[in-house]
Amino acid sequence: MQLRRAFQGRWVAVGMLAPSMLAVAIFVYGFIGWTARVSLSEWRGLLPDYTWAGLANFVDLFADRRFHIDLINTLVFTSFFVVGAVTAGLLLAILLDRQFRGDSFFRSLFLFPLAISLVVTGVAWRWLMNPSTGERLSGLNLLLGTFGIDPLAWHTSDQPWGIAFVALPAVWQMAGFTMALFLAGLRAIPEELKEAARVDGASELQVYRGVILPLLRPVLLSALIILGHLSLKVFDLIVAMSGKDIRLDVPSIYMWTTTFDANNYARGAAIAIVLLIMVAVLVVPYLAWSLRREAEV
Amino acid sequence: MATVTFDHMTKRFAGETVAVQDFNLEVNDGEFLVLVGPSGCGKTTALRCIAGLETISDGRLLIGERIVNDVAPKDRDIAMVFQSYALYPHMSVYDNLAFGLKLRKVPKAEIDRRVREAAAILDMERLLDRKPKALSGGQRQRVALGRAIVREPQVFLMDEPLSNLDAKLRVQTRAEILRLHQRLKTTVVYVTHDQVEAMTMGDRIAVMRDGVLQQVGTPKELYDHPANLFVAGFIGSPAMNFMKARTDGSDLNVAEVRLELAGKAAEIVSNRQTGSEMTVGFRPEHLELGNGVTGPAVRIPASVDVVEFLGDEELIHAQAAGGELLALVSSDHRLKPGDRVEFQLGLDKLHLFDPATELALLR
Amino acid sequence: MTSVPVTIAAPRGAGRRAWARSLGRGLRFGLLLACAAFFLLPIWVMLITGLKSFDEVSLARMWELPSGINLDNFAAAFERLAPNLLNSILLAVPAAAISAVIGSMNGYILSKFKFPGSDLVFTLFLVGMFIPYQSVLIPLVLFVQSIGLSGSLLGLILVHVIYGIPITTLIFRNYYATVPTEIVESGRVDGAGFFGIYRHLILPLSIPGFAVVLIWQFTQVWNEFLFALVLTRPQTWPVTVALNNMAGTQIVEWNVQMAGALLAALPTLVVYILLGRYFLRGLMAGALKG
Repeated sequence: MQLRRAFQGRWVAVGMLAPSMLAVAIFVYGFIGWTARVSLSEWRGLLPDYTWAGLANFVDLFADRRFHIDLINTLVFTSFFVVGAVTAGLLLAILLDRQFRGDSFFRSLFLFPLAISLVVTGVAWRWLMNPSTGERLSGLNLLLGTFGIDPLAWHTSDQPWGIAFVALPAVWQMAGFTMALFLAGLRAIPEELKEAARVDGASELQVYRGVILPLLRPVLLSALIILGHLSLKVFDLIVAMSGKDIRLDVPSIYMWTTTFDANNYARGAAIAIVLLIMVAVLVVPYLAWSLRREAEV
Repeated sequence: MATVTFDHMTKRFAGETVAVQDFNLEVNDGEFLVLVGPSGCGKTTALRCIAGLETISDGRLLIGERIVNDVAPKDRDIAMVFQSYALYPHMSVYDNLAFGLKLRKVPKAEIDRRVREAAAILDMERLLDRKPKALSGGQRQRVALGRAIVREPQVFLMDEPLSNLDAKLRVQTRAEILRLHQRLKTTVVYVTHDQVEAMTMGDRIAVMRDGVLQQVGTPKELYDHPANLFVAGFIGSPAMNFMKARTDGSDLNVAEVRLELAGKAAEIVSNRQTGSEMTVGFRPEHLELGNGVTGPAVRIPASVDVVEFLGDEELIHAQAAGGELLALVSSDHRLKPGDRVEFQLGLDKLHLFDPATELALLR
Repeated sequence: MTSVPVTIAAPRGAGRRAWARSLGRGLRFGLLLACAAFFLLPIWVMLITGLKSFDEVSLARMWELPSGINLDNFAAAFERLAPNLLNSILLAVPAAAISAVIGSMNGYILSKFKFPGSDLVFTLFLVGMFIPYQSVLIPLVLFVQSIGLSGSLLGLILVHVIYGIPITTLIFRNYYATVPTEIVESGRVDGAGFFGIYRHLILPLSIPGFAVVLIWQFTQVWNEFLFALVLTRPQTWPVTVALNNMAGTQIVEWNVQMAGALLAALPTLVVYILLGRYFLRGLMAGALKG
């Protein structure tokens, strides 16, 4: 009787989960498959054309100079953003590790950008980093000017590393996230462990270097993966800061413009698939790792 | 090796909670001293003060000849075994042992020698490459001990190191720690809430309660001559029986039962006004049935409530005139609930306490 | 005991330690204040420029405080963005509510009614949280067109609900993992079935879980940009798209743009200030840290 009821409950459970499973199966996996199919087709117009093209779209894409720029931009942005957000987050977490009066105010303050749309961030920083000179000098350049620093071109620089400046608002937005991760990691380290190190003869600096930082390694890995995959996908912020400026082009924007402005669906799909593979290389091992860790606990 | 001296030490936490009050104690060089008391009595705080993990509020604390009130933990030359062991999870057993030595810039070869020696003493050479996660509870405990040993400190501090072990392992490790102490002869300050552990391990025991030191002495002194009601009730298992009594000349009345006293006890009682209150105490294991007692004795009639069979002995819950009492007697008597018995108690086993001051009157 | 010799070095060490401590404290506080200034900078700029009157608008005086509180810019920005703000509300509120209901049911099943393969199902759900949405965008646009919801808020709500399944399921699954399984078992012994247990035992314990998911999904949907960009038309633009388009033109005064940006940020900011605790839990769940 008991067994039968449990069994029935299980079937009801599967039944109730079925709509979600179906939705995910279609809208995630089915649509990825569909996109992959489009990426292997000749579809370059308003009307669908599923003529088999093999890997031609990918071959073209990797020969495309714009896509080269995109990949370099992604690499530059990712490096600056990830290193910046991890460093800033770790610094903030260490500053806030020991509790004091008012610490929750600072914590909330460093986290609030996460509640704001990247579009808002982009619009605000676009003005802060306004590159105009002379009469129209404004924003941070105006502030820097009072220190005698020449106006910067910021993200509108013609140098290939111009996109690195976009990492600044991105770090502004995401540093609170890494701080929260590191703080949770720090709080999870038992007080006795630090005390043991002190009794063992460690100075406060050595406690950090010998015990605390090594124990934050799993948290660091989480932060690197999450930030890394976000920066591969970066879209809103750049669009809001520069529209479709080719100097700041990244795969996600290229996909959008080539698909919906130029109607080159096949190429758009190919870019989407490359982007997906880049993200998967980062995220799939991480998913496996964190689910295994969960199972171990 | 060194002495540890508490000189009128007081530890107050923020918010004026006094954890340890006016604590005076000298731990001798090479001594195994156990700090014991119920949870919240301040014993762990006192230990953490020695370690330098808490700063003391008043008085002085000395390790050897040196005042260490303001010395950082790392400069106190002490080693500590934590209740949770606090092994560094990211380091192998070897590195856990070596960490403190590396920080002191001990030469590599010397570190290696000491780590291997400690591992040999604790019989864990095979575990050196493992991470703490891959160890059993008992093995972790030994790593924690090993980490203290390699340091060759002046004083070992141990905070309930056995509380996370199962009963069997606890008995084994108890002996192991004692062997270790006999071999190294380093001063040990050992904190526990378990009076059995305290009795079996300590050269001397310091009993604490509510931040105040109650009594210091060898296990035998505490057992035979507890200084007050608290120590009398805390030391010994099963706990001592207490009954309210009134003086009557040189005798005591417990309800309608008269205890006829002699010797020193009679002297103390007769010094008090007849009718004044007094608390009598006696240990369950000192109650005898039949004519087991030689020398002067008092008789306590009672009726048996519950019999707990322990093997060779039985623990008797009985109702006497002065209230419920416990008696530990040989199981040969085969008592049953409802039996009426008369316990005998040697007068030399009787304890008298002043109910107001709670202090022992017979010393 | 009073004859113990005194080491004279002790008090000096004490002084040095106390001094180092207060120096450290001061240094830390200074650094925190500097960081705080950096984090407040964009909000500050939006606020002081938004509050300036039209005749104060001058690039050179960008950093100066406004002479008084003047709501012209906010009024102008509100006039332009009001329909879009309304769209965002009509979008984010139902999407968050539906997401929470679905997530709660899924989380209940995946934590308390595990079946063979349920962990795999959960993992496959999670993948959906990390994919770049460009990889489903083309079929999605075609699909929304084919069911006749192209350009409508309803279509966008549907999309947000579907792609919200992974995170909402994850948050509720982790939340219900903290509810002892014994509660479910005792419910079963007492004769409750799948729905009875959910309704009488799980749901009453779910309020914090709902708070986390509602706040998280509201914020995410409100702030979302890519789906909105390709699935709406000007009449149904949510505020993110409208703000982006407003900032892209040269016609609108930049003071009005700043005021508009602040208006677009305000709802989620208010939710964060009032209920940040729950927001933070949603944030941490996204890192798979429970």
